Amino acid sequence: MENLQSGPNLKPPDRPALEAVNLTKRYEDGLLALDHINFVVNPGEIFAVLGGNGAGKTTMINLFLNFLEPTEGEARICGIVSHKEPLLAKEKVAFVSENVNLYPNFTAIQNLDFFARLGGRTNCTREDYRDVLRRVGLVDDVHNKRLRTFSKGMRQKCGIAIAILKNATAVLLDEPTSGLDPKAGFDFLELLRSLRKEGKAILMSTHDIFRAREIADKVAIMDRGRIIMKKTAQELHGTDLEQLYMQYMAGHNGERPN
Amino acid sequence: MLKVIINKEIRDLLGSTKFAIIFGVCALLIIATFYVAGTRYKINQSYHEASVTENLRRYEGVTDWFDVQDSRVILPPSPLACLVTGVSNDIGRSILVSGIGELTAEGSRYNEDPLFAIFRFLDLEYVFGVILSLLAILLCYNSISGEKEQGTLRLTFAQPISRSTYILGKILGSFIALSASILVAIAVGCLVFIIMGIPMTDDQWLRLILIIIVGLLYFGAFMSLSVFLSALTSRSANSLLLLLVVWICAVLIVPRVSVLAAGRTVEVPSVDAIANEKATFRAQTRQEFIDAMTHFNPDKYEESADKALMTFMDSLQKERENRVSEFAGRLNENRRNRQQVQHRLALALARISPTASMSLSMSQLAGTDVDMSRDFMEQALTYQKKFASFCEAKTGVVASGFRVIRQVEGEELPEEKPLDVSEIPVFEHHEMATAAVVDAAIPDIGLLVIYNLLFFVGAFVAFLKYDLR
Repeated sequence: MENLQSGPNLKPPDRPALEAVNLTKRYEDGLLALDHINFVVNPGEIFAVLGGNGAGKTTMINLFLNFLEPTEGEARICGIVSHKEPLLAKEKVAFVSENVNLYPNFTAIQNLDFFARLGGRTNCTREDYRDVLRRVGLVDDVHNKRLRTFSKGMRQKCGIAIAILKNATAVLLDEPTSGLDPKAGFDFLELLRSLRKEGKAILMSTHDIFRAREIADKVAIMDRGRIIMKKTAQELHGTDLEQLYMQYMAGHNGERPN
Repeated sequence: MLKVIINKEIRDLLGSTKFAIIFGVCALLIIATFYVAGTRYKINQSYHEASVTENLRRYEGVTDWFDVQDSRVILPPSPLACLVTGVSNDIGRSILVSGIGELTAEGSRYNEDPLFAIFRFLDLEYVFGVILSLLAILLCYNSISGEKEQGTLRLTFAQPISRSTYILGKILGSFIALSASILVAIAVGCLVFIIMGIPMTDDQWLRLILIIIVGLLYFGAFMSLSVFLSALTSRSANSLLLLLVVWICAVLIVPRVSVLAAGRTVEVPSVDAIANEKATFRAQTRQEFIDAMTHFNPDKYEESADKALMTFMDSLQKERENRVSEFAGRLNENRRNRQQVQHRLALALARISPTASMSLSMSQLAGTDVDMSRDFMEQALTYQKKFASFCEAKTGVVASGFRVIRQVEGEELPEEKPLDVSEIPVFEHHEMATAAVVDAAIPDIGLLVIYNLLFFVGAFVAFLKYDLR
């Protein structure tokens, strides 16, 4: 676990941890889900992608995880093109989905053990699992409880624990805060901050403008498969992101903001 | 990586409440099957011993070998036949053998207990064919689609694992977990058999092991089929529905329809029609026999008149029986040939379903397949020859029913001593050699292996194209 606890590597990165290059996906029925997307997420950076339902956020994550093949362009993880070398790329990325549903018959530790082994970490001890579970805010009492008894928030924490345990450079979060209560949402942001400190590159798709504003180093707004706005936290300083979001969405439907 | 998936699959399956409930019921049924078979064997064994004793008791006190007209051949019970009943309850278990004449088996178990004919006995073929195939479906129908619904498929494939490793691990893990559980239940069943003191030879144990392997192959086929169909659908409700339809066709419809279809295609004269023809011919030869009797001329013989009459009658009777049996043999052979064609067609059609292959190979290994009745009859015919030569040695004639006794007035009859009935040849039933039985079962076992491979490859290919989202 030393490597998890060790300080962040703040040396400037040689290459971005996550990179979308002209990333395009057109489904067989002709629907253009993603239209020439370009962005870069460097280690130690949180990139939040905002957008309504069907904007293409999940498709983008699916392309990074090679659940889909791009029609054009590439999704790269630490420089590795994910649809060309999926196994190699997936070694370098951790993923937390919108609804973390793990194996309901397994305890938290058993779930962690299974996914850690799949992720290539075969030498973790029980104490390592407990450490990570404590870190995400799950008290010792529940470590050996079956997942079927867990609330949504607790399951989400388990999912994050799995991602942390993998110790991958890049982290993909698909609507990670949806359905979390305010306290759990707050704890989650704290966790993201600590991961950023460790030098992780985090790509987070979300509806949650406030949390995105609070945590992200870069924010993008997506609509109908395109990135219609991309700004850094500095650029957004002092602006009302919610208003901006509404303006952009309205603009994209006809009137473009100045 | 494969080991991780197999390990997870085993723990996930065995740890579920669904497994505990479904398997609990199956395990009880398996153990009950052995217990019921053991009890049935003991009852059959005591019936058999009583019948054998009764057969000899009939001749107690008899003083003339001429009165020993027939002997009853009784099929002894076998523990394997109680475990895989096959046709053993439908065929006659007892044949009255005279020195000459056609043999008819009578006294089938279903004849004695007609209620069982409706509900059938509980046996391994039923447990595997119906119950365990359902177990495979109920535990594996959501193998892939369920993981997708649960969201674990996405999380799993966010890890560096190939689809082929995953599906291989999934099928192997499920098979190991479920077959090991079934084997534990069967082992307990065998223990029940041993505790009950059911005598099993080494050969019979070997055959039982082969029967269990056949059962597991069949179970494996349904399990891979479940994973296969689960990998074709994205919702587990759909895969369950699809599997239940396939199960109904494979287990309940295909074997029955194929027999019906073959019956329609190839006509076989009914047993009644043949019996009718035989009776007519027998009556006709009887008349000829009576006519021929009128031509008896004792002067032609050097022996005494009564001896001459007996020899004359015996030769007439032999000739008549030969003609009757030749005629009956022709009819039987014709029927057998047509029936064979019909059987071959029915079996070829039925083997579309793995259930038919399983039933056929299991009953073959247990010695209760469709040839059981013919095999018993052949052994009875061999005994008939032995009995005939015994009668001839004792009385000088084979044909039964006619005897001339001449008593000269005033002459004392020789002293009558009771016979030693233990001299009557004893019928010994021989089970088919294991090697021959295995040879006969191999095509169906091979077919089950092919079904396994087919469904496995199907699951593999379907999963390589499966939408993981």
